[in-house]
Amino acid sequence: MSTTLSSAPYTVFFDEPLSALLESVSLYLHVPFCHTRCYYCDFNTYAGLLSLREPYVRALLTEIELAGEMARTAAGAPRRARTIYFGGGTPSLLSAEQIRRLLDACRAAFAVDPEVEISLEANPGTLPSAHLQALRAAGVNRLSLGAQSFDPHLLKLLGRTHSPEDVAQAVRAARSAGFDSLNLDLMFGLPEQTMAQWRETLLRALELGPDHLSLYSLIVEEGTPFFTWVQEGRLVPADEDLCAEMYEYADALLQEAGYANYEISNWARPGHECRHNLTYWLNLPYLGLGAGAHSCFAGRRFSNVREPRQYLHLLASRQRPEAESETLSFETQMAETAILALRTARGLHLPSFRERFGLDFWQFAGQRLRHVSEAGLLEYDGTWLRLSKRGRLLGNEVFLCLLPDED
Amino acid sequence: MTDQAHIRNFCIIAHIDHGKSTLADRLLEYTGTISSREMTEQVLDQMELERERGITIKAQAVRMLYTARNGEQYELNLIDTPGHVDFTYEVSRSLAACEGALLVIDATQGIEAQTLANLYLALEADLTIIPVINKIDLPSADPERVRQEVEDVIGLPASECLLASAKEGIGVSEILEAIVERIPPPHGNLGRPLRALVFDSHYDSYKGVIAYVRIVDGSVRVGDRIAMMATGSVTEVIEAGYFQPRMVSTQILSAGEVGYLATGFKNVKDCRVGDTATVPEVLGQIEPLPGYKPAKPMVFAGFYPVDSDDYPLLREALERLQLNDASLSFEPETSAALGFGFRCGFLGLLHMEIIQERLEREYGLRILATAPNVEYYVTKRNGEVVKVDNPSAFPPPGEIEKIEEPWVELSIFSPARYIGPIMELVTARRGVFKEMKYIEADRVLLTYSMPLAELIVDFHDQLKSRTQGYASLDYSFAGYREADLVKLDILVNGQPVDALSIIVHRSEAYRRGRALVEKLHKLIPRQLFEVPIQAAIGSRVIARETIKALRKDVLAKCYGGDVTRKKKLLEKQKEGKKRMKMVGSVEIPQEAFMAVLSLKEDGE
Repeated sequence: MSTTLSSAPYTVFFDEPLSALLESVSLYLHVPFCHTRCYYCDFNTYAGLLSLREPYVRALLTEIELAGEMARTAAGAPRRARTIYFGGGTPSLLSAEQIRRLLDACRAAFAVDPEVEISLEANPGTLPSAHLQALRAAGVNRLSLGAQSFDPHLLKLLGRTHSPEDVAQAVRAARSAGFDSLNLDLMFGLPEQTMAQWRETLLRALELGPDHLSLYSLIVEEGTPFFTWVQEGRLVPADEDLCAEMYEYADALLQEAGYANYEISNWARPGHECRHNLTYWLNLPYLGLGAGAHSCFAGRRFSNVREPRQYLHLLASRQRPEAESETLSFETQMAETAILALRTARGLHLPSFRERFGLDFWQFAGQRLRHVSEAGLLEYDGTWLRLSKRGRLLGNEVFLCLLPDED
Repeated sequence: MTDQAHIRNFCIIAHIDHGKSTLADRLLEYTGTISSREMTEQVLDQMELERERGITIKAQAVRMLYTARNGEQYELNLIDTPGHVDFTYEVSRSLAACEGALLVIDATQGIEAQTLANLYLALEADLTIIPVINKIDLPSADPERVRQEVEDVIGLPASECLLASAKEGIGVSEILEAIVERIPPPHGNLGRPLRALVFDSHYDSYKGVIAYVRIVDGSVRVGDRIAMMATGSVTEVIEAGYFQPRMVSTQILSAGEVGYLATGFKNVKDCRVGDTATVPEVLGQIEPLPGYKPAKPMVFAGFYPVDSDDYPLLREALERLQLNDASLSFEPETSAALGFGFRCGFLGLLHMEIIQERLEREYGLRILATAPNVEYYVTKRNGEVVKVDNPSAFPPPGEIEKIEEPWVELSIFSPARYIGPIMELVTARRGVFKEMKYIEADRVLLTYSMPLAELIVDFHDQLKSRTQGYASLDYSFAGYREADLVKLDILVNGQPVDALSIIVHRSEAYRRGRALVEKLHKLIPRQLFEVPIQAAIGSRVIARETIKALRKDVLAKCYGGDVTRKKKLLEKQKEGKKRMKMVGSVEIPQEAFMAVLSLKEDGE
């Protein structure tokens, strides 16, 4: 048994049967606005469109209503919603009033659980206490802060406009506003970042006592300023071995501090795992609303038009803004379920896999995992199949084997 | 049928990029053979590959009708020949079908190695040479200098040079007049039995092999039975005609004419380039036209399908290419590392590249090619001589009495200021200096002998880079010589990888082994475990590097919006892995098998 396993049960997994989970949805609401764009960011977000906030919220209200209609159960009842997540962009750029209207619309269109987890991503630089209190009062009960680093120089390199002190202040303000589930995002494997800087950032983060930490190894994505700079040789990407060491160091430190790693990049105090994100990793249905948002529902993955103005335009005439769609083959669904579940520390629950697809996992996987299994990337205890400690950093090697072969 | 006095058969010869194809285009246009509406650039180079690379791979023949200033109409047959040294034999056969040649020389460059090589071939074939100084419109053109070169180097009077710009259409009518005036008409004997020289061929799935022929004596009609003198094959002519440049069918071809015969042969091997077609009745009684030799591959490499399921497809594709290309040889071979494939023989490196590209483009095959090598003659202790065209098939050192390898004679044209770097390069490649001739105050012709094996490893690129692109190169086969060679094996993860073995000179073994191991260390990606790479002669390891185990390969984040995109990234990664070859449990990228080719650039 790996010591990295979460000791906390997956509430979303064990409180109710899989069949019930598959019948409900998580809701993701995308807010594509930022004051400025960070140099590494390739999300669907825009600087300089803040004036569109109110029209955008109105369009989103319409889409929520349309989605509720579309997602009704076979019996015609509103679909049950288990979690709501405001992501971005910078959702904290919306007013608490706007958030409240959006949540009201969700409750009108869906059967939202009374104990619903409502997360909101926030930028430490844009969070006065009053705003945090209003958000909490509007029903938001989980706050995710994009801290990224506690090194002023690295923050600047990333194009972040907040300071390390802004993060500390935001955490204190959030706590006093009553947020008892708080996440900090941190990045490692940054150009020029040293191990000492990373250790410092982790320690500063732990001092603030968050309930949850997401640690992301920087990916230099195409189309970002970072990508251009790397191409031009102005930026030297971090050494992969150093990244691996940073990851392992962080894992050891966080475990010791009482945070369990429950997904490759996520650590939480017991009971503070993000239920919304578990939806993705357990490959359960979700609806993404807003410009460029992605959904997985009724055997399809589909996404909305990315451009906010185009989104507004479609919703003005009450058209669903869907742009792209992929119908998932049975094979693909099985592969995705396994790949996503293997990202979690608990791994893939083989009996559930069988229950869900009517096929034994080993029959699906065949010989495909042999090589990576022999290389020691997997652990299997007869019920759960998971990545070994080494395998967590080599997940792709395993995931690749599970992808269906093209015809 | 045109009387021979009104026929002129000629070809255009030139160094690469001196404007041969453009001049051909202009002649076709001027004579109205092709309307400007149908005109495209390089009209005779029909293969996509030829156009892209700006080279001629296959010979083409085209008939033009030209009314000369004397008021009479002439049938001009232009034979467009490949320009590259790999295809020297094909060129020589095309030349043998003509009475004259336009020698095109770039007014900005002057005489280059292939100008001379082709000129010598033309002189050997006893052709009348018309020097054409092309590209005179360019600002850097120096026609007077080139004129002088023609007189000094080639020995033709400077006054015979025609000045032209094929691109601008300057001098085209003068060239056509010169063709009529200076090139002698053919003087075949119409009354004798048929003798027709095959100077190229292509395969047509309906009509069989289409032989490109020059009728030397006699005539041939549709329905006639013909016999090939070298191969003894007999067939009936299904169709006869000429090219314009599309095939135009006529009933008859007679002495002096150039055209095609649809033979119905199912294989180009029955109708080889250089062979003589005649009538079966006189087979064995008349002399064949001179110069026939079967194509002989000089460079060998293993071709393996990246996807082993494609093996039958690869065989079929090679068979099809061979239908059109008798100089391509292939035999099945098995590599412990790469599985089932073919050992292919080529005329040279360009030929090999072309075949590989055609397999990939025209047949959609992904090919893994091993580093090319030459054919060695190995004399064993027991007196037996074996020809070895695959390093992994080398007999064990204890059984070897002596090894011989092919040598070439190398001519290099270069500005004199590069003599030093060229000497250095050639000497490092075991070349032996023979002669240096000044062809102008600042240009030299250097002659060397060198092992062919040294030439096929990156030599041309190196020569170009050391002379800023100014030097040009030509070579011809110069027999076999004994050499102190050893087989260098490469072990990946403790296992010898047969496809990576190379034959090297003993004095070079350590350096090459070191370089190869370092190169592979860079090319082979990190694996799930540590992988040692070793170079060894026999059981003695002479170099070693270790590829550290892969530590991190995972997507940092994967949430709802990412799933589709991340899946695509994984698919791309998987696709990349597919292009690698699994050798034992190590994934080796294709470039690794060609690593030996680019070794020298680091080493020298």
